[in-house]
Amino acid sequence: MSISDSLQAAPVSAVAGAAESPSGPRLDRARFSWASIPLLLPAIGLLIALFVGPVIYSFYLGFTNLELIGPTSQHYSLTGLTNLTRLIHDAVFQKSLYLTAFFVLGSAVIGATLVGLILAMAMQNALGAARAIVGGMVIVCFVLPPVVVALAWYAAATSHGAYTALFADPKGDFLAAAPMIVVSAANAWNLTGLAMILFAAALRNIPGEILESARMENASAVQRFFRITLPLLRPTLVTTILLMTLLALANFTVVYIMTAGGPGTSTMILPVYSYQQAFQFDNLGYGALVGDAMVILATVLSFVYVRLSRGRGDR
Amino acid sequence: MAVTELPAGGEIAFEMPPDTAAIKPPRVTPTRVFSNLTLVFFGVLFLAPLIWLLFSAVDSQASQTLEWPHLTFSNFTRAASAANIAAMKNSALISVIATAVATIPATLGGYAFSRHHIPLKGPLLLGILMLAGVPMSILIVPIYQVFAGHNWLALIPASVFLGVTSLPFELWIVKNFIDAVPVDLEESARLERAGTWQILTRIVVPLALPGIGAAAIFGFINAWGNFLVPLVLIVDPTQQPSPVAMYGFFGGNVIRWGEIAAYSIMYSVPVLILYLALGRLFRGGFVLSGAIRG
Repeated sequence: MSISDSLQAAPVSAVAGAAESPSGPRLDRARFSWASIPLLLPAIGLLIALFVGPVIYSFYLGFTNLELIGPTSQHYSLTGLTNLTRLIHDAVFQKSLYLTAFFVLGSAVIGATLVGLILAMAMQNALGAARAIVGGMVIVCFVLPPVVVALAWYAAATSHGAYTALFADPKGDFLAAAPMIVVSAANAWNLTGLAMILFAAALRNIPGEILESARMENASAVQRFFRITLPLLRPTLVTTILLMTLLALANFTVVYIMTAGGPGTSTMILPVYSYQQAFQFDNLGYGALVGDAMVILATVLSFVYVRLSRGRGDR
Repeated sequence: MAVTELPAGGEIAFEMPPDTAAIKPPRVTPTRVFSNLTLVFFGVLFLAPLIWLLFSAVDSQASQTLEWPHLTFSNFTRAASAANIAAMKNSALISVIATAVATIPATLGGYAFSRHHIPLKGPLLLGILMLAGVPMSILIVPIYQVFAGHNWLALIPASVFLGVTSLPFELWIVKNFIDAVPVDLEESARLERAGTWQILTRIVVPLALPGIGAAAIFGFINAWGNFLVPLVLIVDPTQQPSPVAMYGFFGGNVIRWGEIAAYSIMYSVPVLILYLALGRLFRGGFVLSGAIRG
């Protein structure tokens, strides 16, 4: 027997002095470890119980005749498509959809994003003092709690308030005269700070050399903005618009405290309408259905936002 | 035209510029003037409500008009009434509970999502991030129904729910932050046979503290400012936090603007401080000097 034969015949571990071959699972591939379960359980458990579960429950409730008080608060039942039919024919709901679209587009997309971009661009070329004061102030506007925003704007936009004196008859009620505009302006005022921060960060990432070479090629400021800055800002623009939209869609406090949906139904955006139906008119089931419409809208927007922001980052 | 003289005689063939001092760009250009004017314009536009808040809070005859105040601190002393302070204590309690409920699971889950292999991690993360975009107003009806049935319409259950609404975004913040922490330290700890819990408490959490802190501050500010959840889910007036209390001032026949403004400022100060801390955390980052060789 040659040495090679004996080596081939015997297992490695039988060779004198050799170490035990390692047993157990492979370590070169990522594998699921049981330690993940207790780490994930609190978060996933809470989210399912108090977030995902209620959304599903809300879809169920939307098709019942549940009321806040009265006989059907205890013994409610599925009512089939009655609520849905009511929703389709509900003029206030349709108005609410238009108002929500106006509110979101006006205050978030146009208002906050545009003003944020203008401020971010202006801050690049301004004096340090102006930058600190105005920038700091706009950020404070973003940071204030919603109730305080509502309060300050209510005072400023009703009779004898500061904005009323500037934009309308000082003794009149600016808020009652142009409710959607005032409420949208309040929301834009609130959100602009965030847009400004996002755009300022994005503008800092634009290499100075590109703009400098454009300047040397005698490109005007307008040309530089539209041909260079804006295309480079496009990803940030898209994600900021979507973020503002989601934040505006979620706005309940500012509108509810300033107008409670009124006068009449002039500012009845979807969250306020849902709350009114559920807790003021006691139609919990119908209020849930209005909420379901919001879920669908918000989910679609959320999905688009996440896709776009992650797609941008995974480069 | 100055001509330099070479020591070895002869003159150089080109001419030096008349003065070789540094060429500074002009201080006043149209762009800079326009930018400053734009800032001032928007600054003034944004200013009105903020100035009104400040002035009314110290004005003994505060009203809606924006006018120079008759300086006094009596608004603050009146705003600090027993009921109002109790409301702020409720706000604090709600915010602390909500932050704890949100941040601890977010840290554990964020670590797991960042470091561990989890089946369907991509879709799960996508789903969680999408939840962050879902407005709270749609959860309020089903949650009310469930809580009412169990007699849970009080401060603590409402705080727990409030925490859960911040949980998705907090998890995303922590996960992204831990992604940026090098794995080497944990791997070497594993080689030293450290258990997962030890790695978490001794290595990951201290290193990820800025990210965890940022997530916690975000959750706290959300809970502190929230109005709808306590409005609907807390029925006992003595358990209501500041936003609902402030809304109550609105309804009275005579609105005491000075007091409301003073209370608003008192109520906003914690949020402002926390945002400053947040800014410091983001700019500070973390330092690993010496911990990783090579």
